[in-house]
Amino acid sequence: MAELRIAGVTKSFGAGPPAVERIDLRFADGELTALLGPSGCGKTTLLRMIAGLETPSAGRIELGGADITALPAHRRRFGMVFQNFALFPHLSVAENVAYALSIAGVAKARRLARAEELLELVRLPGLGARRVGELSGGQRQRVAIARALAQEPDVFLLDEPMSALDAQLREEMQVELRLLQQKLGITTIVVTHDQREAMTMADQVVVMSKGRAEQVAPPQEVYRNPANAFVAGFIGKANMLPATAMGGAARLDCGTSLALSPPAAFRDGAELVLACRPEWMRLASGPGPNRLPARVAFVRDIGQVREIHAEADGRTLVCELPFSAPERPRLGETIHLEFPPDMLRAFPARDRAEVA
Amino acid sequence: MSTPPHAPAPAQARAQARAAAQQADRADPGAGAAGADLSAPRGRPGATGAPVDARPGAPSRGLRFVHAQYALALVVAGLCLSPFALVFAISLGEVEAGAAWNWGVSAANYARVFVGLDWPESASFVYMRKLGWSLAYAALGAVIAVAFAFPFAWAMTRRSRRAQTVWLVFLLSSLSLSEVFVVMGWDVLLSNRSGLPMAFRETGLTDWLKAVGWFDVLREIGLATPRNVRFKPSVFATVLTLSYLVFPYAVILLYPALSRLDPAMMEAARTMGARPFTVIRTVALPACRLPIAGAALLLFVYLLGAYVAVTVFADPSRQTLTITIYESVRGATLNAPFGAAQAMVLLVTAVACLGASLALAKRAERRS
Repeated sequence: MAELRIAGVTKSFGAGPPAVERIDLRFADGELTALLGPSGCGKTTLLRMIAGLETPSAGRIELGGADITALPAHRRRFGMVFQNFALFPHLSVAENVAYALSIAGVAKARRLARAEELLELVRLPGLGARRVGELSGGQRQRVAIARALAQEPDVFLLDEPMSALDAQLREEMQVELRLLQQKLGITTIVVTHDQREAMTMADQVVVMSKGRAEQVAPPQEVYRNPANAFVAGFIGKANMLPATAMGGAARLDCGTSLALSPPAAFRDGAELVLACRPEWMRLASGPGPNRLPARVAFVRDIGQVREIHAEADGRTLVCELPFSAPERPRLGETIHLEFPPDMLRAFPARDRAEVA
Repeated sequence: MSTPPHAPAPAQARAQARAAAQQADRADPGAGAAGADLSAPRGRPGATGAPVDARPGAPSRGLRFVHAQYALALVVAGLCLSPFALVFAISLGEVEAGAAWNWGVSAANYARVFVGLDWPESASFVYMRKLGWSLAYAALGAVIAVAFAFPFAWAMTRRSRRAQTVWLVFLLSSLSLSEVFVVMGWDVLLSNRSGLPMAFRETGLTDWLKAVGWFDVLREIGLATPRNVRFKPSVFATVLTLSYLVFPYAVILLYPALSRLDPAMMEAARTMGARPFTVIRTVALPACRLPIAGAALLLFVYLLGAYVAVTVFADPSRQTLTITIYESVRGATLNAPFGAAQAMVLLVTAVACLGASLALAKRAERRS
């Protein structure tokens, strides 16, 4: 197998801003990459260009150094799982799985044997004779995966593969799909809008917005060190605070100064957005550095965490405490929220509009 | 034809299989199974399957509704079946002098349709041959119309919504042309003096055909005289006009099925190595096989009754039962009972064709 690279890939549909704009990515051999973003961010268009179902308006797609930009889908050997699975209702389960082999001219006995092998791989042994209409959603998805793997594809593509499944099954299938992908060691690209799904399965996450790649990094890196305010807001939850840079620290509108570690690399007076995840904040017993007084507006105890919604500086901040935390703030009480300097992220304020 | 009031057994079995499959998903020994058990309400009222509408007053209302249904069914059956019953009764009668005929219970008219007037001294299959031509023209016309309509409707569904609407409106409006008008158009187009044959001669196409030797082939299949091509009368012209007549119907019948076809299915086939034509052959055509067969069947039955095109384009020796039925009832021969007998034979043939293809479809569905 070989490495897949895309360089400067752009796709425009008619007038208006391009659906995908100058994206450069490397998909390492055997790794799973998640294209993550809100709907309409261009992630599916990008996947379809990789599959050969759309032609890029500009840019190159390379597989193992060979330019495959103009290669039609049927000559790429990329297995693809579609959002609605797109199984063939007129064929049996085994014939569905063996479709690619029958197109390639493999003898019937051999391709049916291979289909049974693949059905065992996706834990559906003995279902080959069934009709597609007799399968449940989860079984259909497994058949779609087996069918896409039948031609031993160079790259395995999945377009929102879990969106047609119910919540509980989705969690199970994410783990199962990841295990399968690691077992086969196949280069895989998954399109998803679910950050949990991306975090569960991916080696590399590409966060997309408005046709651009906002950040390309391993999932934990994306979570801990978001590249900008959009990523911070889209992946997980984050409290956002407008501020002004002042001597390496950030000054809030209310006058409180918050220290940053490492110090913010902005010139003094620059407008900033500060981001801090709810579970990174602490409750302090009294005023002090990097602390902000706030009034408790709402407490949500959902078992494993306790969420404190508190009003400060004219906005609501959320602080998440583990269930074992001793603090139990009451409604209307004044608390002191502490922002640990190494847990605060500062972004230039041009991102502010995107956050709001 | 009536549909049975209960769902057919195979469909029920399939629904059960699907429900069982869905249960299998849930019953996976996963982490959430225990949680689902906790939240499942026990003994929820109404979940037992007892009928909710079991009030004492309900039966009488239901009964009245049933009576109304029976009455309506009787009226409909009377209106639909009485003409057929009348034609059948007439077909058993005997012709008198002139146009007059008497009621009767004789099978002589049927015998004449099947084996001729002089049976048992000698057998003549004139009317069976005419029935054969009826079936042949209708089958060819329907199949050709559907064969051309499929790629046409396919191409239509690839266009933008707006373009599709324009095409549909155009096709629907073309249905307002009467059969007589369409046949007149083709009559002019195919006529020897002023139509295509003239164009062939004037443009030198005839000479070219003669030069390359294809003219002899045309003569052999009856589409040319020694001097020029000649399209009428011919089977070719008849079938061409018949398929032209039903082409818009064929497109309109296939269009819903093709536009419902999931584009992701075609794309999936492409990612699995199928060329565009292979995609149509292995995915689109098989997925639409029931609508295609249904459209062909409907048009076939419709074309069994074609009249104008056959009178204009078919050679008298190759005309259909419809023509002689008309001649018997209103035309030259004036023998209403015999015409009725021919009509009954044509009707039974059409019903038999429908029944046979339904049985075939059911068998195919059971097998796959």
